[in-house]
Amino acid sequence: MNPDDLSRRRFLQSAGSLAGASYLKLMSPAVLAITQAACSAREEGTPFKVLGAQEAVDLAAIAARIIPTTDTPGATEAGVIYFFDNAFESELREQLDAVREWLPQFNRALGETHPGVARLGELGETEQDAFLRTQESTEFFDLIRVMTMFGFFSMPKYGGNKDHVGWDLVGFEGHHGGWEYPFGFYDAAVHGEADQSE
Amino acid sequence: MNEVRFDTREEVDFAIIGSGSAGGILAKELSTAGHSVVVLEQGPYRKASDFTHDELAVVHRWELHGGDNSVHGQTFRHNESETARRPPVSPVRYARTVGGSSVHYTANFWRFRPIDFKERSALGPVAGTNFADWPITYEELEPYYTKVDWEIGVSGAPGPFDAPRSRPFPMPPMPIKSSGVLLERGAKKLGLHAQPEPHAILSQAHNGRAGCMSCGYCMWYGCEFGAKSSTLAAMIPLAEASGNCEIRPLSVVIRIDTDGKGRASQVVYLDASGQEQAQKAKAVILSANGAESARLLLMSANAQHPDGLANSSGFVGRNLMHNTHALVHGVFEHPLNDYKGVQVSRVIHDFYDADEKRGFYGGGGIDARPLFSATPILHAMNGRDPGVPGWGKEFKDTMAHDFTRQMAIVASATSLALDRNNITLDPESKDLWGRPAIRETYLDHDDDLANAAFFEDRCAELADAAGASKKWRFGIHPTTGGEHLLGTCRMGEDPATSVVDPGHRSHDVSNLFICDGSSFVTSGRGQPTMTIMALAFRAADRIRDAVKRGEI
Repeated sequence: MNPDDLSRRRFLQSAGSLAGASYLKLMSPAVLAITQAACSAREEGTPFKVLGAQEAVDLAAIAARIIPTTDTPGATEAGVIYFFDNAFESELREQLDAVREWLPQFNRALGETHPGVARLGELGETEQDAFLRTQESTEFFDLIRVMTMFGFFSMPKYGGNKDHVGWDLVGFEGHHGGWEYPFGFYDAAVHGEADQSE
Repeated sequence: MNEVRFDTREEVDFAIIGSGSAGGILAKELSTAGHSVVVLEQGPYRKASDFTHDELAVVHRWELHGGDNSVHGQTFRHNESETARRPPVSPVRYARTVGGSSVHYTANFWRFRPIDFKERSALGPVAGTNFADWPITYEELEPYYTKVDWEIGVSGAPGPFDAPRSRPFPMPPMPIKSSGVLLERGAKKLGLHAQPEPHAILSQAHNGRAGCMSCGYCMWYGCEFGAKSSTLAAMIPLAEASGNCEIRPLSVVIRIDTDGKGRASQVVYLDASGQEQAQKAKAVILSANGAESARLLLMSANAQHPDGLANSSGFVGRNLMHNTHALVHGVFEHPLNDYKGVQVSRVIHDFYDADEKRGFYGGGGIDARPLFSATPILHAMNGRDPGVPGWGKEFKDTMAHDFTRQMAIVASATSLALDRNNITLDPESKDLWGRPAIRETYLDHDDDLANAAFFEDRCAELADAAGASKKWRFGIHPTTGGEHLLGTCRMGEDPATSVVDPGHRSHDVSNLFICDGSSFVTSGRGQPTMTIMALAFRAADRIRDAVKRGEI
């Protein structure tokens, strides 16, 4: 299996699990209430809905290495952890129990490779990345990786992508609504010569 | 709006099952001609203002599809010896909403060409397949393609290899994008011809509808401007305004009943509250798509029709064709910002015709588009450079660079009709409403895979010729489902080898008409909806002829 196929399969699986059994829920005004609650939680620093404080710290630390903060914002600045809290409270509720089993296993493995270390955030960034590479094939890491992508790049109403930092990073102005050509570098020259519609 | 509501016990002229590309057109044509029509649509009645740009909800929660496969329970297998499995993503994918998949399609709108209708005669048989000529010609369908151009709303400009047309396009093509400029550049270097892509999207105001705002949310989204030429935007308002047509959403059809004379008498469905209802009608038109129409006919088996309605030939559900695809991603030096505007602006048709020198049957077209770089989650999960890790600083840097600089060169191509590729009822899996789930069995013909590989090579050459700084192939894999649902109730003169006659009337049940992708005899080159719509306009004329002759 080539890497692209693998990523495709992961995408499909993740898409499936995110959507799991949510047909009726989609029809319900509860979705709107949830997303509004996520926004206000982020703005006001209110407590998480389902995540414990230490769980949130650990998950946010992993997300912070999946999309790290560099000279541009990463998962931390995007508030991805609020997306997690929101998702675990609603459509990924079933995965929260699994995460609560996986997280202690993750920390145990961390302590075994780094005696005396209890939390990922206690390590330097290079050491964190090296440890996470040993966890890449676990379901736990993959779930958090996929959730980080969704939290970083989905609409801010879901809790992450605060101030569109995810979209700004990649140059996507998805909130713009409509466009006039030229759209990019290569069509600018063509449109400069003549109106395409003539 | 002249809102009309029919009592289910009142026998209407036509009950139409499905409000999509075919059903929406038939509803408009028959209701404006004075016939009473009830359209049963399993999805909700969303209007333009209900559509959003919410990638998570639309693409990843399958909002317009009515949810993921936990709702639909569809199963898939490559051949009959396997037990079909229930994958997380539905194998056959279509929108469940008023307007059907014409609401969320990408709206690439190729006509078929004369050769598509008589290719079997021109090329000879392909052993082990049901490769056949259509019972109609391009010339017969041409006036209806033109009707689609003008009534549905198609923008475009003629290309060097186009089939003859009786009227020009009603409006100019959509503006060229950077992906189109790069495809043109590659085509010129290779001696090929890139032409403007025709779209069922308005490049300017037409028929009282607004032109496209180039928001970029075409593929899988509904258009909040009504500029995408869905039947929701173009046909259903006219049907409702006639005062003769009721659109009845959230109506999940479970069977078509026949009377003692073997004629269709009523359509049985579950209403929005799950209550069983039955709509009486003088005639029934089935336009539920190539998967759903076949399922419903098989579900409608009764003592008189033990193998399913309209299935004395055994051809209901058989000959499923998805079209094959090939795909090469390319990254370029400067930003394309290809997420803006419609997906495709240029297409290459130099390889449309089959060529026996290649050693296999097949043809297709090649375009350039953002595809998985249309939105960021899709890009992160599915479109990004697979040579880079899926997380970390290198991932972040690559995505920040590539997202606006990437495009896909995409080939859409032929599929052969085979007995082994079909829709049947899953013996165990059910959908949310308790209907037997759609079971798909599909394994591409060797020629289809060889043809896809041929096209992948052409796509890769074009990426290089266009100046890609890096490129990668998606790879050719056996098909495991799709959006194009063709061939499962094929049209033909011979009741032994087809389900409907050339007027879309079922051979077995004289007041049952079937018109959608299932009517196709061959697959075309990979953009079927223009032909589904042309067939629907033509079917409406044939049905009106039958009414005039007193046959309904």
